Amino acid sequence: MNGAQQAALAARKKDTRSRWLLSTPALLIIFFAAVGPLLVMLLYSFMAKGDYGDVRFGEFSLEGWTSVLFQRDIFDDTLGFADAHLSIIWRSIQLSFFTTILTLILGFPTAYFIATRPPHTREIWVFLVTIPFWTNLLIRTFAMQQVIRHEGMLNNALIWLGIIKQPLQIMYTDTANLLGMTYVYLPLMVLPLYASIEKLDFRLVEAGYDLYATRFQVLRRVVIPLVKPGLIAGSILVFIPSLGAYVIPRVLGGGKNMMLGNLIEMQFGSGRNWPLGAAMSITLMALVMVALIFYVRNASRGGTGHA
Amino acid sequence: MDQTQVKSANGGAIGMRAIQKWFGTFQAVNDVTLDIRSNEFFTLLGPSGCGKTTLLRMIAGFELPTEGQVLLDGKDISSLRPNQRPVNTVFQNYALFPHLTVAENIGFGLKMLGTPKSKIDGVVKEMLKLVHLEGRGDNAVTQLSGGQQQRVALARALAPQPKVLLLDEPLSALDLKLRKSMQMELKRLQLETGITFVFVTHDQEEALTMSDRIAVMSTGTVRQVGTPWDIYDRPAERFVADFIGETNFLEADVVSVSGNKARVRLSSGAEIPATFPTDLTPSGKVTIVVRPEHAQVSAPSPASLLQGVIHEVVYLGTDTHLHIRLDDGTTFMVRQQNARSGHSGFSKDDTVGIGFSDDVAQILRD
Repeated sequence: MNGAQQAALAARKKDTRSRWLLSTPALLIIFFAAVGPLLVMLLYSFMAKGDYGDVRFGEFSLEGWTSVLFQRDIFDDTLGFADAHLSIIWRSIQLSFFTTILTLILGFPTAYFIATRPPHTREIWVFLVTIPFWTNLLIRTFAMQQVIRHEGMLNNALIWLGIIKQPLQIMYTDTANLLGMTYVYLPLMVLPLYASIEKLDFRLVEAGYDLYATRFQVLRRVVIPLVKPGLIAGSILVFIPSLGAYVIPRVLGGGKNMMLGNLIEMQFGSGRNWPLGAAMSITLMALVMVALIFYVRNASRGGTGHA
Repeated sequence: MDQTQVKSANGGAIGMRAIQKWFGTFQAVNDVTLDIRSNEFFTLLGPSGCGKTTLLRMIAGFELPTEGQVLLDGKDISSLRPNQRPVNTVFQNYALFPHLTVAENIGFGLKMLGTPKSKIDGVVKEMLKLVHLEGRGDNAVTQLSGGQQQRVALARALAPQPKVLLLDEPLSALDLKLRKSMQMELKRLQLETGITFVFVTHDQEEALTMSDRIAVMSTGTVRQVGTPWDIYDRPAERFVADFIGETNFLEADVVSVSGNKARVRLSSGAEIPATFPTDLTPSGKVTIVVRPEHAQVSAPSPASLLQGVIHEVVYLGTDTHLHIRLDDGTTFMVRQQNARSGHSGFSKDDTVGIGFSDDVAQILRD
């Protein structure tokens, strides 16, 4: 080994050391802000609940986890399915799924429209899409309430147009949740889709038409496969926060149409069952993980590297 | 669409009638009327921005003419969408679908036409063989070299057996050697398939090598249409003569015209016969062209048509170029083939006489 090689090796070692040093702040943040709290949650979920909230430290219990899916009969102490919990979990998954589909249906043409404008006008459209983010989520949700409530703008407009005679009951239904979440999460679908479509080589679209594809076939066989990364990113960005939505179902769904986020909040609040809340939080995370794995596997399949 | 029409192996004839194309205030194509015959290798040649690609895109259907008509076998197809025209394109950057394999790319057109899968497989196999890519069907197109991608693009466009194949500078991204072999390849494919090829290029050599006929374009208009020989030896105007190859322009006076031959007097006083474009009646002062390889240099004598002094000798391996300043001040170039090894026999500052045979001078339209 000559001197130059040794020097190179030493430089590489030093490089590695300084890299670790430089990443220390990030590692500390990850530990204290993400890994640490998660461990606390995991710990709490395996403890007995305290009488006034909190947990009884050192007292191991699986009660928190069993209560996610099961409930104890108050008379004979047998276990039965916790129907309320199951229906709330199922509703959360369903609503998140339909929200993703709806934002996709609305977001795809929007993103396509923006991506096909001349470059300088594109920026203006993207800017317009992000404007709602400037307003607090709570305020936007209350604004939605004003639109869909009994004497709200939507009902008034429909009556004025003569489409309906009686106002529709939208507030405090799953439809209200769906409309609210679609409205709030739409930009999260539009932006990654736009980024993907903007990168699309439109000569490939021309090639599609040239080879006898109809508009629909070009969309299905050329455009969608090529913008799939954006499609997946957008779906993840919408599905995950939808699953944990809290403010929207609280304001628009009311007490009857709770979602997972509200159920968890209840356990830490009036329910005074922290182990259950912690177990449910981890369940929600697991659901998100499952969704993510599903998406990622879908994305890698047949992805020939067109980013 | 009419399936049988796409399947027919005979090349279609393209007619362009008084085509105008405006992009906003820019006129890309100005009153082009052109006939491309069935089964021919036709080239649109011109510098960038001359409107040749726009013309091609109007045949494909990607652009609609602002005015005028595009005819295919006599039928007006101007308003048909690209997928309704039995015409396929080989794009400049190939535009292969990156998410599909080689075989899927080639079979795309037939699949869109609703051809049964078993039949597509057969055609794809045939096409792979035609472009020498046997066994590469399952490769991702991104794994192929530029030359191979080029051949996939060709196979993809030929697979649905179009009536006309449009090629938009398909060789420009290849290196010189590959380009030469692809030129031969394209010519072979055209002869084998009998499909009309419309080829767009700015490379005059490419055009001369492959084409049955060439249309030379500039600033949105067609300047001259003819065989490579017509274009090279009988250019109709200065732009064509200048764009294709190297040439000498000489001022001359028309002495007499009879039939399709004229006699002109050169600045030296010598009188020579000259040909001219059929739509021209030459008279008075004219410009004539003489190609450098059609002129010979000798010691000055009364038989010399022109006389001058050599001011530069450029040795090019196969040829030697002699730049001669004529007595009237213009520069004249003579290309000598270096048949024998060694010196051309003339050197700088020699006074020489220039001669050329009776059939090489051509009068230009002004």
